[in-house]
Amino acid sequence: MDQEQRFLGVLGSSPFRIAVVYSIAFALGAVALLGAVYFAVSEVVDGSTDNLIEAEVQGLREQVLVLSRSDFIELIEQRSQDQDVRGAVYLMVDPQLRPVAGNVPAWPKIAADQGKWIQFKVSVPFGDETREHEMRAQRFPLPNKYQMLVGHDVQERQDVKSLMMRGLIAAVVLTMLLGLGGGFWMGRRILAQAGAISAVATQIMRGDLSQRLPVRDAEDEINTLAREINSMLDKIEQLTLGMRTVLDSAAHDLRTPLNRLQATAEAAMSQLAPASPERRVLERVTTEVDRMRSTLDALLRIALAETGTVAREAVDLSELVGSMVELYAPVSEERGIRLESSVIPGVQVQGSRQLLAQALANLLDNAIKFTPEGGHIRVFLRQGGSGPEVIVEDDGPGIPADKREIVLGRRVRLDQARKLPGSGLGLSLVAAVTKLHGARLVLDDAEPGLRVALKF
Amino acid sequence: MHILIVEDDQVARDYLAKALREAGHTVDVAVDGLAGLHLASSIALDIAIVDRMLPKLDGLALVQSLRATGRKTPVLILSALGEVDDRITGLRAGGDDYLTKPFHMSELLARIDALARRGESGNSEANTKLKLADLELDRMTRRVIRGGKKIELTAREFQLLEFMMRHSGQVVTRTMLLEGVWDYHFDPQTNVIDVHISRLRQAIDKDFEKPLLHTVRGAGYSLREDE
Repeated sequence: MDQEQRFLGVLGSSPFRIAVVYSIAFALGAVALLGAVYFAVSEVVDGSTDNLIEAEVQGLREQVLVLSRSDFIELIEQRSQDQDVRGAVYLMVDPQLRPVAGNVPAWPKIAADQGKWIQFKVSVPFGDETREHEMRAQRFPLPNKYQMLVGHDVQERQDVKSLMMRGLIAAVVLTMLLGLGGGFWMGRRILAQAGAISAVATQIMRGDLSQRLPVRDAEDEINTLAREINSMLDKIEQLTLGMRTVLDSAAHDLRTPLNRLQATAEAAMSQLAPASPERRVLERVTTEVDRMRSTLDALLRIALAETGTVAREAVDLSELVGSMVELYAPVSEERGIRLESSVIPGVQVQGSRQLLAQALANLLDNAIKFTPEGGHIRVFLRQGGSGPEVIVEDDGPGIPADKREIVLGRRVRLDQARKLPGSGLGLSLVAAVTKLHGARLVLDDAEPGLRVALKF
Repeated sequence: MHILIVEDDQVARDYLAKALREAGHTVDVAVDGLAGLHLASSIALDIAIVDRMLPKLDGLALVQSLRATGRKTPVLILSALGEVDDRITGLRAGGDDYLTKPFHMSELLARIDALARRGESGNSEANTKLKLADLELDRMTRRVIRGGKKIELTAREFQLLEFMMRHSGQVVTRTMLLEGVWDYHFDPQTNVIDVHISRLRQAIDKDFEKPLLHTVRGAGYSLREDE
């Protein structure tokens, strides 16, 4: 299967296509060149034999008028034995078509509508064996219904022609084979290089910025390109690391004062009586600190996912989806919502288990928030067209088609959601985590309700 | 307990020291990594609380150096960083637990308590049978019995009870449960853990006079015999 796919991949590669076009062009060239030679040669060879026969016929027609029958027979016999005129054939037959003189054993079968020229085969001794030779001849009547056949062995001519034809075919086939073979070889070479490059590129896009494209010693275009891309990657890596540093210091600079605020509030609260109004005020302060913290956590996680600098591991997606469903099942049941799931086993992806869990938690939190009592939430992990798909669908109000793009942006909360708790970062985080994993986030109508699909 | 706090932020350090002293612990403080490492390797400590970003010597380097000298003192790392894999690097460097700022003091106290008592309680890792009052849990047969009566639990309820029994007598927070039982590190928007706990409570406490699973207001839960 894999090998077949690689083979088909080579056939689709651009070097192979170019090679096919060139092979066809060269083959056409060979056909034109050798064809012209073929026709020129056959014309010369055919023409000269035909002229020879015509002349001989002309000569004999004149002789028959002046010679007696016995002299004419003798002439024919003489000519038949003459070694100088190699390949010349003669046959004189009586009215019953019985041979009288000549070097052809029998009168050939001649169709009634046959024209001036006839072609037939004669067995000719060839060493110890005999060979069928092609003969070309003309016939003419003799006095007393005798007939005369004058011709020439054209086997040699046929041999030359068929040799040329075979040469022509061989040249075309060889041109095609060399062209296609060369194209296939080049295609494979380019594909191997391109394959190595795209494998690395995939890893880089998934966030492993330490990867570099393979560069060979050769100074060809692909290597030059790879080198340039590598130096571009160096820059991107520096920038990303820089962003990570900025992110870390931003996190530090926000978390430290929040921590002080929390500590100060808690310290003050410990001095106050449990039900005092001052204590209640401070409790509100810590509640706000909690809220700021969870918004900050979400923002930082989104930023982390977007810079792509999160460590990856093999994540058992089946286990993850299963345990998230199990984690949320009691809370949805308590709210009168049925949480159903269908999870295929053994699905693994490369990524961050914690971020995937957070994304799934956000989807489930959302689904529970928006699904009315008596509603359903369905969670699927299934094999989609291009890879595994995690799907969370509910039969709540859904998101109108024209707002689906917008809600993926940061801090967007549709009107109906404003009265519900939440930072509005839930789906943005899902989108960032999905992108980090090289997956696609698709919002759809579950008729009724919302269907969110993460397509890996 | 004897606790060392290594923290460069004065407000956080002072409050931490005060709260821990009020909770009855002996507290030493260090304001930078080098001083912290010096103290941690020279005095007998029960727990060290180490901030991740410290002047002079980074918190992670401090823990690594401490581990390199063979000290097994439990270390709780406090972090003001971006989280996710910072937690992993923190634990890999030799930290035993990891807490992101800002945090509630109750969360920190519960975690130090768990760290300090790790391995010391009768319900330690090696034991296949865990016991609390008339409640018994057998890890081998996966059976739970209370007062001679068999209690049916789902696989997850069993894990949850096992975790609670291992930390019996201590306060266990929701995040500790989510981390310890599910291995997840995030704040769910919905009260997922509370519902799991109330189901477990239903299973083990409903038919009995003395409840074992208690809610600790503003902190979490506790599985204990008294009250």
